[in-house]
Amino acid sequence: MKTLRRPDATALARHAGWPLLLLAALAAGQVLDDYAVTVAGTILIYAILGLGINIVVGYAGLLDLGFAAFFAIGAYTSGLLMLKLHWGFWATLPVAVLAAAASGVVIGYPTLRLRSDYLAIVTLGFGEIIRITVVNLDVTGGPNGLTGIPPVTVGGREIVTPPDFFYLALAFFAAVLVLTGLLARTRLAYAWRAVRADDRAAEAVGVPTRRVKLLAYVLGAAVGSVAGPLNAAQLGTVDPSSFTFLTSLMILLVVIIGGMGSRPGVVVGAVVVVALPEALRTVQEYRGLFFALLLVLIVLVRPQGVWPARPRRFARPAAAGPEPAPPAAGGGVLEVEGLTRRFGGVTAVEDLSLRAGAGEVVSVIGPNGAGKTTAFNCVTGMIAPDAGTVRVAGRRVHGLAPHRVAAAGLARTFQNIRLFEELTVAENVLVGRFARDRSLLRPPSRADAAAVRRCLEFTGLAEAADRPAGGLPYGDRRRLEIARALAAEPRALLLDEPAAGANPTEKRALMDLIGRVRARGVAVVLIEHDVALVMSVSTRVVVLDRGRAIAAGPPAEIRADDRVIAAYIGVPDDPDAGLQAEVLR
Amino acid sequence: MSDFVQYLVNGLTIGAFLALIALGYSMIYGVVRLINFAHGDVFMIGAFAGFGVLTTLGATGGMALPAVLAAVAAGALATGVLGAGVARAAYLPLLASPRLAMLIAAIGVSLALEEGVKVLTHARFKSYPNALDGGQVMSGAVRVTYGQLALVLLAVALMAGLWLFVTRTVTGTAMRALAMDRDAARLQGIDVERLVLATFFAGSLLAGAAGVMYGLYYTQISFGMGFLIGLRAFTAAVLGGIGNLPGTMAAGVCIGLVQSFSAGYVSSRWTDVIIFGLLIAVLALRPTGLFGERVVERA
Repeated sequence: MKTLRRPDATALARHAGWPLLLLAALAAGQVLDDYAVTVAGTILIYAILGLGINIVVGYAGLLDLGFAAFFAIGAYTSGLLMLKLHWGFWATLPVAVLAAAASGVVIGYPTLRLRSDYLAIVTLGFGEIIRITVVNLDVTGGPNGLTGIPPVTVGGREIVTPPDFFYLALAFFAAVLVLTGLLARTRLAYAWRAVRADDRAAEAVGVPTRRVKLLAYVLGAAVGSVAGPLNAAQLGTVDPSSFTFLTSLMILLVVIIGGMGSRPGVVVGAVVVVALPEALRTVQEYRGLFFALLLVLIVLVRPQGVWPARPRRFARPAAAGPEPAPPAAGGGVLEVEGLTRRFGGVTAVEDLSLRAGAGEVVSVIGPNGAGKTTAFNCVTGMIAPDAGTVRVAGRRVHGLAPHRVAAAGLARTFQNIRLFEELTVAENVLVGRFARDRSLLRPPSRADAAAVRRCLEFTGLAEAADRPAGGLPYGDRRRLEIARALAAEPRALLLDEPAAGANPTEKRALMDLIGRVRARGVAVVLIEHDVALVMSVSTRVVVLDRGRAIAAGPPAEIRADDRVIAAYIGVPDDPDAGLQAEVLR
Repeated sequence: MSDFVQYLVNGLTIGAFLALIALGYSMIYGVVRLINFAHGDVFMIGAFAGFGVLTTLGATGGMALPAVLAAVAAGALATGVLGAGVARAAYLPLLASPRLAMLIAAIGVSLALEEGVKVLTHARFKSYPNALDGGQVMSGAVRVTYGQLALVLLAVALMAGLWLFVTRTVTGTAMRALAMDRDAARLQGIDVERLVLATFFAGSLLAGAAGVMYGLYYTQISFGMGFLIGLRAFTAAVLGGIGNLPGTMAAGVCIGLVQSFSAGYVSSRWTDVIIFGLLIAVLALRPTGLFGERVVERA
């Protein structure tokens, strides 16, 4: 545990890198000739576009192949307002950003349910729709675009010379840089990374994934659109041929070359994408081919980009802070009535009822295929049940989205462990906090940090806090899932086969952990195949067979129940056969 | 009315080409979960390969049909080999990487093919030899040429051949198994890498054949022809339900009709806006396409 931090080279790079770069750029504006300064201005425009697409592709992992559309929307909105309504540049800027953000909603909303690679095609189609539309319409100047856009004035001074424009672009870039820097510190940034790693798991632990994805589109579009008015002001024209699929690819290339999710990488990528073609001007016709091969080569040789992202690590506080008050005891915490789910002709769960009170451990056992996990999925909202009600502390939760069910106080783990592999252990637990607190646009709070610390200590994972979850040994991965679920401070905790693959020592540790969770007044529902474990920790046991509860009661009763034995082992056709005795032995 | 019938005939012809291309997208997506961006450019290469054969043979008049068949066969074979070769060089090494990596590689390959042909042809259009029989099955208000009929029949024959291959042969069955679960298929002794290459070969073959047929029908080809056609065909593959071969064929014909009617009744300038608008609308309402997918999303 680090309490002291030395100002080492990485820390220096982290804190002084950007100011130094901006200073260097300021100096460059003084010494470079007009041509070089113009190229540098274009680099800044691509860097702004890169910072925008980095939010969508780099953070949230949603591939966008039509990002030039937002560039175009920004440029045309600003240009049209200046030409037709004679607005000033600065007045058009917020409108251009808003227009792009609105189109981010339009394109984002219908596509949220799509698998990720369809998304790529839809964004590509959207980019083409925008381009073809501005070429076809008269108001946008058709194929000629807009011409005669007046220059920007800053404090009464017209920005016309290349160095002046370069400084204007630099100011825009710096503003966007600060904005995206602030964004990278928010809870939203962690939510994006969780969604990128596993969006279903993120939804299940309380992240409102649709809103989070939509925000990626909207904020990415808003950030990138700033480049549009800037470009229009630089050239004095808006030319539809600068918003083709190739432009979208160039913008994408900025983040792929640099490294997805990496802001320094965006600058590197923008320099390569803009300056390299300038350097290759003598061999103009081979330019595209060269770029294409570069793209393939980078993916094959260095898929993480030349400046891979080093996301800001979530830092833990020194002290865990006070325990939260345990949830009020008494009454049924989780009440499931008449739950039914069919898949085609198969009834996976039929008329299942289940109650778990505060501090109780209710186990669901049954042969493979009995419908246990389906029941869990219905209870947590991941599958819609065909019939039945689910209440958490008296509140109806059936029919709600999984993240709302989680927010109502129902946390779960998965049978096939679903962690956010690239996030650290502490960050995985932090994402579990979204069920408690859905706010996105602020940094993780003191309460978040305290809860993360507490859950890690509770599960014995504090030492591993800063390691990537993907590198944990199996037993720790199971415990991390439980820690993530506990971060939500749930009323009820659903554990799906937590002891699968565990050795006897790990099973004892798990039993101890379950005991401590219930002691805090949490209702625990357990799916488990290890009958010995179930019998020793459970208050009550429900036995499922072919979707139906065939028995329910205290462990001792269940152990002696003939129907249970029959379901597990089967009834011999010939009662005299020694099969049953043989299997039981 | 006769306009309507003429648009219908043209739409069916274009639809047959689009269906052939869309099938490749669908098959390849099925086995490797990749939107093969370069598929439209493979189609373009096919058109150029066929062009090479036809100009070499100097096909006109009497010997046209054998020459046409030879060109289609040569174009198909060339693109089949090209598709498998590209897959071997650029996609197979990324089989275990995140899916995004392979998609980006495919975008790069697409651009490389396009730019490569652009350099070789000096960015000029090429005029296809007029090898098709200009005689008309129907004349008057609605025109249907023998050439048109031959192309559609050829496309149907190729699709039928694919269908038999996928459903009746061991390799085809293995392909379908691979589309369902790569790991399980590997455990059953299927050589996944070889089969992936076979799928690329078959899919690219159809695209190449479609390329030659397109050249014969429109009589003009260029390095950039694959981009939009590829996008339209991909739209068809998604609308038909990826991995669902009959659905893909039907959707290909649908997109061909949309293209023909929108060009006829609205304006060809808006054709792609209509097609992509349709794509977005359908996916928003039915995320698995019109006819349902036949691929399993891994949990």
